[in-house]
Amino acid sequence: MTTRGPSTASATRSKTRHFLLALVAGATALAATPVADAADAEAGRRKAEPCAPCHGPSGNSTMPTVPSLASQPPTFTYYQLVMFKRDKRRDPQMTPFAMNLSDADMQDLAAYYAAQTPASPPAVSAVATAEAGGRLVKQHFCSSCHTPALMGQKHIPRLAGQQQEYLLKQLRGFKAQTAADLDGSMTMSAQPLSEQDIELLADYLAHLPPGGGS
Amino acid sequence: MKAALLTILILLLAMPVLAQQAPPTWQQGRTPDQASSPLAPHAQPPAPKAASEIPVNTIKVPAGFKVELWASGIDNARAMTWGDKGTLFVSSRGAGNVYAVVDQNGRREVKTIAKGLQMPNGVAFKDGALYVAEISRITKYEGIENNLDSVPQPKVVIDTLPKDLPHGWKYLSFGPDGKLYFNIGAPCNICMPPETHAAIVRINADGTGLEYVARGVRNSVGHDFHPVTKELYFSNHGRDWLGEDVPNDTLHHVVQRGVHFGYPMCHQGDILDPAFGKGHACSEFAAPLLKLGPHVSPIGIHFYRGSMFPPEYTNRLFIAEKGSWNKTDKIGFRVTMVTLQAGRPPKEEVFAEGWMGAGGQFWGRPAYVQEMKDGSLLIADDYAGAIYRVSYQK
Repeated sequence: MTTRGPSTASATRSKTRHFLLALVAGATALAATPVADAADAEAGRRKAEPCAPCHGPSGNSTMPTVPSLASQPPTFTYYQLVMFKRDKRRDPQMTPFAMNLSDADMQDLAAYYAAQTPASPPAVSAVATAEAGGRLVKQHFCSSCHTPALMGQKHIPRLAGQQQEYLLKQLRGFKAQTAADLDGSMTMSAQPLSEQDIELLADYLAHLPPGGGS
Repeated sequence: MKAALLTILILLLAMPVLAQQAPPTWQQGRTPDQASSPLAPHAQPPAPKAASEIPVNTIKVPAGFKVELWASGIDNARAMTWGDKGTLFVSSRGAGNVYAVVDQNGRREVKTIAKGLQMPNGVAFKDGALYVAEISRITKYEGIENNLDSVPQPKVVIDTLPKDLPHGWKYLSFGPDGKLYFNIGAPCNICMPPETHAAIVRINADGTGLEYVARGVRNSVGHDFHPVTKELYFSNHGRDWLGEDVPNDTLHHVVQRGVHFGYPMCHQGDILDPAFGKGHACSEFAAPLLKLGPHVSPIGIHFYRGSMFPPEYTNRLFIAEKGSWNKTDKIGFRVTMVTLQAGRPPKEEVFAEGWMGAGGQFWGRPAYVQEMKDGSLLIADDYAGAIYRVSYQK
């Protein structure tokens, strides 16, 4: 692999110009915007149009196997897109989309989806399921990384209110060591789970209202 | 005999802290009121940034210095060491790769010469061989520079080191005595480590003769030897969850082999640990040479030996600070320099910064520094997967 000096790619150039302008104007609010990773949620809204048929118009999926992206931490969405683009995560639908995204596109999309309001799950699970699911969440320290409300943080996804079929697929994949994993944490965490645990967890999480409500 | 006993002791105590059903290591040591803290380590991105997406012009250096992007696409680029024939070997941590960067007429070619290794953070070079330190073993690739495209099978130097992953990644170098120096970190955030851990050790190049050089060292993944005195200096990461502003990460000077630097009893030379400090005084331990700031994460350190930079840079110590996570207002994400003068307190100044914007968003994290033959300085960024070159012109 050969490297060149700093590129003059238009995205970089416009960001640089933006930064310089901000400096010149002494506009502290603008200057405080991070220079490189200044994601643009409004641009992300436009760029997300092709995503809507599957992920839903505001990132709330109605397709059981497609994850909701609304209110996902921006680093999570960004990193997953990078993984699709770099062939570290594969999906027949997602891979072709991600291949054509620039770094700025991915950050804009991530910022857009992070700002969307998550829809409430359609129904609550049975009391017994909820109790068992809650116990499993505690037992397996899910909230250590996914946060107590299971809303995710940084590169770690929101689980509360996620599509149930998608959660099942992911958990089974981690258990089978076939699902793409950023750093191995989920593969390791899923090993002790039984198929029944996975079903209880997916059911519990899918019906958990996002936003920290109980 | 003593070394053999120590090796056995290491084997016995090297039970991996593989607590599958436990909270992650980085959370260990939190107080109950920190349980819902939003602070967590920054994840390594899944891939390096493309050259066109690295805003190298935002890195600021003193007047007269210039920064350029020297190489990119090096996933998780960490420690750097030179081969005799001008190959730059670059390590990684989570990516599990070792790279060779070859300069061909001003263009850098990056070859992945080893992959699938267990956190191969340490690289050192001697007599034609590249030494690579993983978590529990050190191997060497003989004649590597003649075989970058058909890499030889590595030979084991030592494979009986502890298997603990937390702070188990190593910085590796050859000391002025020809021995291999590396760290065995504490297998936790804060705990009473086994005798074998929380230390810097050295072995002979053939893997024999393990000796403890410094004890009570929580997590040191950068060291260098002073060009004149040949004494060992090392960076160290202080414990987490003691507070936003304490303890400081530190720079240390080993004046006597085997000295204890305080962990886990005493932090930054003057703060007793609330649990492990009971019954102790910080005066029992060697104090740090310099406090570097809380949670700044000093990784690579390097004494400037070249002649390209102005004369006052001679023997100055560069420190790469990867930047904080266990602190709400992030700090670090820069390269500092420390001037050491006999009889005066060390003076620390910023050398390069700009990886983090004013809003606390960052696009890169400087991890290691290395000098080029011409006296320019290379900075490896493991977050962007890139190496920058800093040069000086009057």
